[in-house]
Amino acid sequence: MSCASYDWKGYALGEMDRAGRREAEAHAALCADCREELAAVRMALNALSTLRDEEIPRRIAFVSDKLFEPRWWQRLWNPNLAAACVIAAAVLVHAFARPAESPARVQAEINAAVNKAVAEVEVRHAEQTERILLLYDERFMNMYKTTAGLVRQ
Amino acid sequence: MIFREVEDRDLIAKARRGDVEGYNLLVSRWEKRVFNYLLRLVSNRPNSREDALDLCQDTFLKAYQNLPKLEDPARFSGWLFRIAHNEAFSLLRRNRPEARDGQASLESQPAEAEAGRMFPLELSLAVDGALKRLSDDQREAVLLKIYQGFKFDEMAEILDCPVSTVKSRLYTALDVLKSVLSPIAVRGE
Repeated sequence: MSCASYDWKGYALGEMDRAGRREAEAHAALCADCREELAAVRMALNALSTLRDEEIPRRIAFVSDKLFEPRWWQRLWNPNLAAACVIAAAVLVHAFARPAESPARVQAEINAAVNKAVAEVEVRHAEQTERILLLYDERFMNMYKTTAGLVRQ
Repeated sequence: MIFREVEDRDLIAKARRGDVEGYNLLVSRWEKRVFNYLLRLVSNRPNSREDALDLCQDTFLKAYQNLPKLEDPARFSGWLFRIAHNEAFSLLRRNRPEARDGQASLESQPAEAEAGRMFPLELSLAVDGALKRLSDDQREAVLLKIYQGFKFDEMAEILDCPVSTVKSRLYTALDVLKSVLSPIAVRGE
């Protein structure tokens, strides 16, 4: 392979796989030009590494707001948990209702009840989510403006 | 007793549940890195420190607002730097300083003359100056690779461009830096 086919920057940056590195090292052992190129790249990288990170002039922090924080039931809220509760309720209804009518009819009633319950939960959930998001956006922007004002002061 | 370091993904989960203190801890872990990335990215601007600080705050605010959209918490760092990149380039595009070109400024500034006067302890100042000579895209490639340690494919995601473009920008930048810094580094040895 010619010298131009060796990626010495990739080598110095650690972006070359093990086989590629071995091949490149074998070539460099025999090629003074490539050793010189690699040394120049490494020297530039070493120079770059002398630049130290600066400390941030002001720490960034967001303030907590009780109104902004979700309530306990919101923390616990989980669609999967709700669905499991509905299914469990349906099973319990099915187990304890002991219908006198035909099983098919009872099943249909249970299905209708479950569907109704699920639909109601979904509607409630959508409404609650919308309210929470509206409150969240409003409170967060207020909090940010207040914090930004305090920080600037 | 078992000590377990709290990981970013734990803090992300807390923040998603509205735990502001959890998010503050996450911010404290990343703010210095993000600030320095932004500081060097906007270093050509007159008030670069103030700009970098404002950008840093905006970055963490947007990150908080969009945290629920983060699909894989393991990729938080790349996602965060993508937000920082967008914020910085929004500012750079909005209000560019005097038209400048990396190559033109390289020719206009006598690097070798500076190198002749250089002492080892001034090397970091020379590096700072050399970075300012790069175009914004080239400088950002150097910052993400050399100072933040991202792999090429992660950089491509952050910059939303092909890996080949990332390599091209970085390699061109390294060629410029090599020509500027090598004489200085040699003299400093």
